[in-house]
Amino acid sequence: MIRFEQVSVTYPDAPAPALVGVDLVVEEGTTCLVTGRTGSGKSTLLQAVVGLVPRATGGHLAGRVTVAGLDTAHVAPRDLADTVGFVGQDPLAGFVTDTVEAELAFGPEQLALSPSVMRVRVEETLDLLGLADLRDRPLRDLSGGQQQRVAIGAALTTRPRVLVLDEPTSSLDPTGAEEVLAALSRLVHDLGITVVVAEHRLERVLQFADQLVVVDGAAVRSGDPDQVLVDSPVAPPVVELGRRLGWRPTPRSVRDARRHAAPLRLAGLRPPEPPAVDGPVVATARGVSVRHGAVLAVDGVDLQLHRGVTTALVGRNGSGKSSLLWALQGSGARSDGTTVVDGVDTGRADPSARRAAVALVPQTPGDLLYLETVEDECAQADAESAAAAGTCRRILDDLLADATSAPIDAGTHPRDLSEGQRLALVLAVQLTASPPVVLLDEPTRGLDYAAKRALGSALRARAAGGAAVLVATHDVEFAATTCDRTVLLAQGEVVADGATAELLCPSPTFAPQVARVMAPAHWLDVDDLVDAVAAERRTPDPAVVP
Amino acid sequence: MSRTAGAVVLGRRSALALGLVSLVGLAAFAWPLLLRVDPGGAGHVGDAPLVFVVVLPLLVAVVLAEFADGGIDTRALAVLAVLAGVGAALRPLGAGTAGIETVFFLLVIGGRAVGPGFGFLLGTTTLFASALVTGGVGPWLPFQMLAAGWVGLGAGLLPPARGRRELGILVVYGVVASYAYGLLMNLWFWPFAVGTGSELSYEAGAPLVDNLRRFAVYVVATSLGWDTGRAVTTTILLVLAGPAVLAVVRRAVRRASFGAPVTFEAPAAPPPLVPR
Amino acid sequence: MSRRPIHPAAWWVWAGGLAVAASRTTNPLVLGLIVGVAATVVAACRTDAPWARAFRSSLWLGLAVVVVRVVAYVLVGSRTGSTVLVTLPELGLGEWAAGIRIGGPVTLEGLHAAVTDGLRLATVIVCLGAANSLADARRLLRCVPTSLHEIGTAVVVTLSIAPQLVESVDRVRRARTLRAGRTTGRRAVRAIAVPVLADALDRSLALAASMDVRGYGRSGGTDERTRRITGALVVGGLLGVVVGTYGSLDGTTPPALGLPLLLCGTAVAAAGLLSARGRVRPTAHRPDRWDLRAWATSASGVVAAVATAVAARVDPDLLVPPSDPPTWPALPLLATLGILVALLPVALDTSVRRAAAAVRPVSGTAVDLRRPARPDPRAELRPGLARRIEPEVVR
Repeated sequence: MIRFEQVSVTYPDAPAPALVGVDLVVEEGTTCLVTGRTGSGKSTLLQAVVGLVPRATGGHLAGRVTVAGLDTAHVAPRDLADTVGFVGQDPLAGFVTDTVEAELAFGPEQLALSPSVMRVRVEETLDLLGLADLRDRPLRDLSGGQQQRVAIGAALTTRPRVLVLDEPTSSLDPTGAEEVLAALSRLVHDLGITVVVAEHRLERVLQFADQLVVVDGAAVRSGDPDQVLVDSPVAPPVVELGRRLGWRPTPRSVRDARRHAAPLRLAGLRPPEPPAVDGPVVATARGVSVRHGAVLAVDGVDLQLHRGVTTALVGRNGSGKSSLLWALQGSGARSDGTTVVDGVDTGRADPSARRAAVALVPQTPGDLLYLETVEDECAQADAESAAAAGTCRRILDDLLADATSAPIDAGTHPRDLSEGQRLALVLAVQLTASPPVVLLDEPTRGLDYAAKRALGSALRARAAGGAAVLVATHDVEFAATTCDRTVLLAQGEVVADGATAELLCPSPTFAPQVARVMAPAHWLDVDDLVDAVAAERRTPDPAVVP
Repeated sequence: MSRTAGAVVLGRRSALALGLVSLVGLAAFAWPLLLRVDPGGAGHVGDAPLVFVVVLPLLVAVVLAEFADGGIDTRALAVLAVLAGVGAALRPLGAGTAGIETVFFLLVIGGRAVGPGFGFLLGTTTLFASALVTGGVGPWLPFQMLAAGWVGLGAGLLPPARGRRELGILVVYGVVASYAYGLLMNLWFWPFAVGTGSELSYEAGAPLVDNLRRFAVYVVATSLGWDTGRAVTTTILLVLAGPAVLAVVRRAVRRASFGAPVTFEAPAAPPPLVPR
Repeated sequence: MSRRPIHPAAWWVWAGGLAVAASRTTNPLVLGLIVGVAATVVAACRTDAPWARAFRSSLWLGLAVVVVRVVAYVLVGSRTGSTVLVTLPELGLGEWAAGIRIGGPVTLEGLHAAVTDGLRLATVIVCLGAANSLADARRLLRCVPTSLHEIGTAVVVTLSIAPQLVESVDRVRRARTLRAGRTTGRRAVRAIAVPVLADALDRSLALAASMDVRGYGRSGGTDERTRRITGALVVGGLLGVVVGTYGSLDGTTPPALGLPLLLCGTAVAAAGLLSARGRVRPTAHRPDRWDLRAWATSASGVVAAVATAVAARVDPDLLVPPSDPPTWPALPLLATLGILVALLPVALDTSVRRAAAAVRPVSGTAVDLRRPARPDPRAELRPGLARRIEPEVVR
């Protein structure tokens, strides 16, 4: 269905090609999962399938890409519309119209289908993706998952034989991601559409992938997921666990891994003691309530943050996490209660005093950046925080020391940074005032495993340096490996507060993968488990030997 | 596949159409000054302004269609829509508050950064979209669209310069455009606004100088404050945010790589069958 | 009765009819009747879309027009009539201001003329405001001819993006406080404008890609022959328009060079516009049909216009009451009946509101550009805000 023959892509003004000599075949009806680190050329590969590369980006494509027999060198993307559908990362950015039905109809309108055919297609698609109830709703008001389902539907109304999705869930919360992937799996199983999907969070899609493509710039490897996973640079926790414990075939789901792990569970391995979650109190919130209109987003929350502790703030969408963070920082609306950080009442303090007390990294960190180079941003941050020149840049370098990516050039435009780098820059800007409390709102969106790991260790280092860190997140794997303490929020109230292992592991919704594999024992981290197994193997105990 | 440089191609035909329509448009704006009454009394003279109200929307549509036919790149269209969206979102914020008019800043920047054809489209689309949103559709809309189109077009035609010199040119242009736009809109609506029989009123058939004088007094009395407000807002915005916003738009244009060469090269050898 | 709204163009015909009716009279009672009819229909048939607020602003604008007329008359009006109400101190502005004199006697006749003339223009404006608030802008956009498809699409996108940008400005302003930056004033302009614009422009590329792969522009493109014909029609027509414009402005030219040429040229150019269709026309999903209700709505407006025009012929003094001496206006029967016919849409369009209300309780199909500065008491009903605050129940 899709065939790449010796494909190399070079963008204009780029020193090196983005893809080199790629050979790839995707058969009809397969689900092909494309993965690789951020910036590895995944997007280039996917866009080459639809013909957007090089037609929309400029550049040179050597070799041949054919989709259903059509050569993208001769057929423009718009003429491929009824052959390949494409869904991007941010659904809202790709919407042309503003209601669900109009959006679904846009493709068929361009293809000049007759109104009766179009009507039927739109209705079918509404049903197929469970959007019928939303048909007249404005797209802006839908949840992320619903928006992405509309985007998929809008690609399907032209009846393509191939659907290409570029990280369709990376900007969604888990509920939304679940929703989209369920819809996708239905398409795969019921319609037999050839699906090519790029995805960071492999664990979700691995189960129904027939083919796995690992893109790493020049090298593109493709094959059966079980084989390719063995040494893929990107791996979800179960796969990593399986690889490090030598399980064959590599487990792709919690269920697979649980079968392999049966002897481990019987071996009576002891998970590490949860770290202490108290220390000198640095921030105290008392009776904090936030009201948006008639809705009480945060309802009388009492919370203390301790120096040296990283805390995860988890809860559904709309449980009041963001509102609480903003209220703690002091800039956000607050209808009741006090927040005192290091003796400063952040609700009353002026912005610069707040900044010195609490650093907050908002959900869209790019909002904070407005200058033309990284250097300027850093200098501006030093000036804002009355810090010595070079402070911000030093913090930034420290943050990125762990990351595998190249250091940031001072002259780079902040908008040209990768997600991870941009987050690091904003974090550095916010940390320049060396505040004792650091708040982050959904920092892991769009980050790959390596970037998340780098962020996690940077935050732990910050905590070790005496700061209190609070991370509002949906990403339980990140919370499990980074945070000592977890606070569960529901309907604006604190429902549970305690050590991460005790809180997350028994939870059916929030438990990380390792915990699910090893349940009922409270394991959070692959590293801990592997270390424990290694230690166990050194001491001769027949029960553990597989 | 090759592409001509530039986001919106101003071809010979679209330029000609734009020129002709602009000529008619100028006449439609300035009819009170141009109208020459035949003392013998040809009856058709009095209808001219009403006819313009009917004809101008069609003419604006013809020009826009000509532009579209010359080929608007999808990405140029998307950038156009986004910038016009910014304008439409900005406009209600200012409208009604002492002549604070934020759209001109955008038109000047957009025309300057992307080009004259794009500037014209930006002016017309922005005014049209914001009229739809705010419910400002009426006979005045085609006049506003055309005048705003000229503002964007003019910004695209300014001489090349960079840095402070460029900012200076833009500010001067912004001020001139603000007043010119106000004068044109006034001129057209003047006879309707004050009616007949006052000393500010338009008098059909009076000598040009006399009418110009009356018009000048009318402008000073009614709308000079607004036009000044517009000029001041535009200047302030240009000085404060001009260079930065110009850089942002230029960067977007660069990233959209209008006219970047697109080349394909077939594989040298016959395609080997690649096993999965 | 159909659930679908009445064709937007029908609303414009209806309002155009009322506006023509208004332009034929200066009788304050008739004008008041027209405003009343327009207001009743707007109140009954408008939706909750943002443009539906246009009617109220048009009322204010109309009031402003009357005030400007009166003030202009009182200060600098020419002194006709004999019934002096009050004599203002007179002030000559001197030679530099064309010898204009401010003040002087204010007469009843002059004031009457200023008010009634102002009312007429105000009523026309109010009629246009009614059309603005009744005709769905988006649906209207779908009626544009194929050759304007690109521009139409751009405007559609613009309309959907504008409210997102307003939200975006709000978000960036909030983020700005985190860097201890000011959210108002000199420096904030740049710090807020740049992220908002950069973000929006980055997204425009995603938008272009999404449009491309969904077949946008596929039906565009014309063959060489059509292009030539179109070009000849457009350019030829426009040349005619230019000459016609000159002719119609210069009363000394032969009449044939004036209006007729202007109109013919426009027609030819418009024919060019319509002929410039692509190989395939993009189709429309659920196109608005010009149904019986559309006929009835537009016809009711036309009836109002015709009745008033006829009445103006039959009894000019009733519809344009003389100012000198001013008389009490009376309602002419024919015009009154004709204008009352324009209430017909109230009976035709009630279903729309019910349908709209069933879909969304508040704040219409689209953009809400007014950012509430205070917490909006209706916020709990707004799905967007509710979503942020309460977990979405999916399916």
